[in-house]
Amino acid sequence: MSNAAFNDASLFHAPQEESHAHDSHHAPPTDPKICKLGMIVFLCSEALLFSGLISAYLVCRQAAGCWPPNLGDGIELPPMPKLLTGINTVILVASSFVYHFAEEAVKKGKSGAGWMLAAALMGATFVGVQCVEWTELYHEGLWFNKGGVYGSSFFTLTGFHGAHVCIGVLLILWCFYLQVTKRFFTAERHVALMNVGLYWHFVDVVWVFLYTILYLI
Amino acid sequence: MSATITADSHAAAHHGDHGHGHGKKGIMHYLWNTDHKVIAMQFLFTSILYVIIGGAMALAMRWQLAFPGHPIPVIGHLLPSTIVSDDGSLIPGGYNMLVTMHGTLLVFFVAMPILIGVFGNFLIPLKIGAGDMAFPTLNEISYWLFSISGVIMLASLFVPGGAPGTGWTAYAPLSSFAKYNGTPIGQTLWCVSLFINGLSSLTGAVNYITTVITMRSPGMSMFRMPLPVWAIFLTAILLILAIPVLSAAAALIIFDLNFGTTFYKPEGGGQPLLWQHLFWFFGHPEVYILILPAMGFASEILAVFSRKPVFGYKAMVYAMIVIGVLGFIVWGHHMYVSGMNLTLSAAFGVSTMVIAVPSAIKTFNWMGTIWRGNIHYTVPMAFAVAFVSMFVIGGLSGIFMAATPIDLFVHHTYFIVAHFHYVLFGGSIFSVFAAIYFWFPKMSGRMFNDTLGWIHFWMTFVFFNLTFFPMHNLGLSGMMRRIADPTVYDCLRQVQPLNVVCTIGAMGLGLSTLPFLANMFWSIFKGPKAPANPWNSTTLEWTVSHPIPHGNFVTTPTVHHGPYEYSVPGLEKDYLPQNEKAPAHVTLEAH
Ligand code: HEM
Ligand SMILES: [Cu+2]
Repeated sequence: MSNAAFNDASLFHAPQEESHAHDSHHAPPTDPKICKLGMIVFLCSEALLFSGLISAYLVCRQAAGCWPPNLGDGIELPPMPKLLTGINTVILVASSFVYHFAEEAVKKGKSGAGWMLAAALMGATFVGVQCVEWTELYHEGLWFNKGGVYGSSFFTLTGFHGAHVCIGVLLILWCFYLQVTKRFFTAERHVALMNVGLYWHFVDVVWVFLYTILYLI
Repeated sequence: MSATITADSHAAAHHGDHGHGHGKKGIMHYLWNTDHKVIAMQFLFTSILYVIIGGAMALAMRWQLAFPGHPIPVIGHLLPSTIVSDDGSLIPGGYNMLVTMHGTLLVFFVAMPILIGVFGNFLIPLKIGAGDMAFPTLNEISYWLFSISGVIMLASLFVPGGAPGTGWTAYAPLSSFAKYNGTPIGQTLWCVSLFINGLSSLTGAVNYITTVITMRSPGMSMFRMPLPVWAIFLTAILLILAIPVLSAAAALIIFDLNFGTTFYKPEGGGQPLLWQHLFWFFGHPEVYILILPAMGFASEILAVFSRKPVFGYKAMVYAMIVIGVLGFIVWGHHMYVSGMNLTLSAAFGVSTMVIAVPSAIKTFNWMGTIWRGNIHYTVPMAFAVAFVSMFVIGGLSGIFMAATPIDLFVHHTYFIVAHFHYVLFGGSIFSVFAAIYFWFPKMSGRMFNDTLGWIHFWMTFVFFNLTFFPMHNLGLSGMMRRIADPTVYDCLRQVQPLNVVCTIGAMGLGLSTLPFLANMFWSIFKGPKAPANPWNSTTLEWTVSHPIPHGNFVTTPTVHHGPYEYSVPGLEKDYLPQNEKAPAHVTLEAH
């Protein structure tokens, strides 16, 4: 029994024959709670996508015995750069808080655009540092097709995550743009901002897992 | 402003926009439309296209198995040269491509979209009293993702090397090594297609879950929801948890094939068995994704035509929940021969047998529902009853195979093929037929032709059993799955006549779709006009009459009691719609 949605009484009766091909933008805006639930359900499926990838990694790693694995070709595989990525992790996690401040500002009726831009820049920094790291590892002889499953899994997992971060940065920039140009988000209505936030926090949490299993242990 | 689209809010929103806004007319109306009822029809007609393609492929395979090497009549010359030789007979590799395409198309492009895309879309809002889905645009996007993925899947037939011949299960390393499967492009397209198809299922599932949780009309508590809604709701949860794992696994195949990663390659430290684990972790929940909605439809149809409440409504719901949960811990029963540890295989065997318990509960409840009912012999009822009996046969062979010692013997034989056709065709598809006949009057506003319906039922029922029952015997006699020519094995010569029987059955089954299609297309245009509630049914979709406006309900219905109040003592009519209050002197079955 959950339906606040229907409390509005009707004013007009529906015409009998009605079939519009492009109704959605005339439809009343969807309740923020509904949007939020939709996002959460979607993120559950994202979580399962990463679980699938992570378990593939763990299975291969478990089977290899030692890590980096001994591929028998005498090539020493490089360790992962813990420190640099550690700093990068702090930046990404901090960006979640920064984004949170943006939401809080909007809830108080302020613009919050500065916080949004800051969060997007921090996200972009994260991607930038990852790119640097990818190039370095590439020169040390690791790539999707080099270094066996050690290289494959590292680049695939960080690649999937990096793509998610890029999408997140674009989404935050889009919110920023809407806010600066149209003052789109108000204290009363900021559904998209909230949903992008959920996504962004999710991407951060996934990274904490990935950092732990790919770099630390 | 109301958060959901009801017919009223809709009209309000339209007021002053374009006075008599009929929107885009003609073909665009059917190509881009956010009304859940239209989307359901888009899914239906697209899947009918795929069922024809996939079915023709099955007939080509059956022809080859009965008459190896003989040119395939009619279809032979339509198939690309990677599959048939010049005279129109199948080449062995082509046979494998057909096996793969048939399985993939029927599971992902016929059964899933019809069960979930068509009936999920059509029924959920109408049955819970909502104006549309929570996210109508996302809903239409889901349809288009599905369509695109289908085009990609079929495109793999025409690339160099042809379609993949790795089966719908695409086991690595066959699928992940270009030199083994011979068609890296085809296999990649297969993976890409399933990835996009998965996105379509996920966007659909997000919509269904959100809609069911947040958009029920006043009075429609969870335990007053009709069983089809419960079934699709639980199915959507399974989709959310299972599909992404397949997507991940398929992505890894794409990477192995094209970017040189070594997830499934032993020489790079990868694990071929990893694919089987990921695939079946998805695959077993997937089979429940394919059966739960079917169970939901059958439960309701049996109740309506027995004029009795569903026996043990709550038990039905809990049984589906238990099936859904247990479904995630039984995947190992597909891998008994993979060399797994015997203790583990015993554990998987036990969990598989445990999952048969809720299935049996449901079966007994169906029997309880019709027991001593005032049974109405209609076409949908016939299909629903046939569903129960076929599901029992398929479920029983499932229990056989759950026992490791037996499965070691029958694994990868036609016994498996018999099993899953009994549960998928005899189960899911029979229930889909029941549902199509049952809801046809609501979808099209017309009645179907009864005689054609009965011809269709009896042909399907007889030829289905003729096709698939002998496969149990073939399997037990040792005939392997996925072989192009059984006659090359001495040990199989003596059972070759059974293969001919199966093929005759399959042709009959192919023909049986003709009265069905004729009935549908004729009745849509020429059938007698259907009344709003032709089956005297209690649920909300029967309270609106055709054509149902965008927004469905003129005023939001209020629900007063559970969904299956049939033959309530003390009432004049033998059913009490959910939106009608029971008179004070009447006590109801459920609340
Ligand atoms: C009563 C419950 C069921 C039990 C105990 C059961 C058990 C099994 C087992 C043990 C196998 C593996 C056999 C082998 O490969 O050696 C199997 C295969 C299969 N089952 Fe079931 N099953 C049940 C219900 C269902 C249902 C309801 C469906 C689908 C609607 C289904 C679809 C399949 C399919 C498609 C396969 C073959 C997969 C393949 O190898 O291609 N089963 N089943
Ligand atoms: Cu299974």
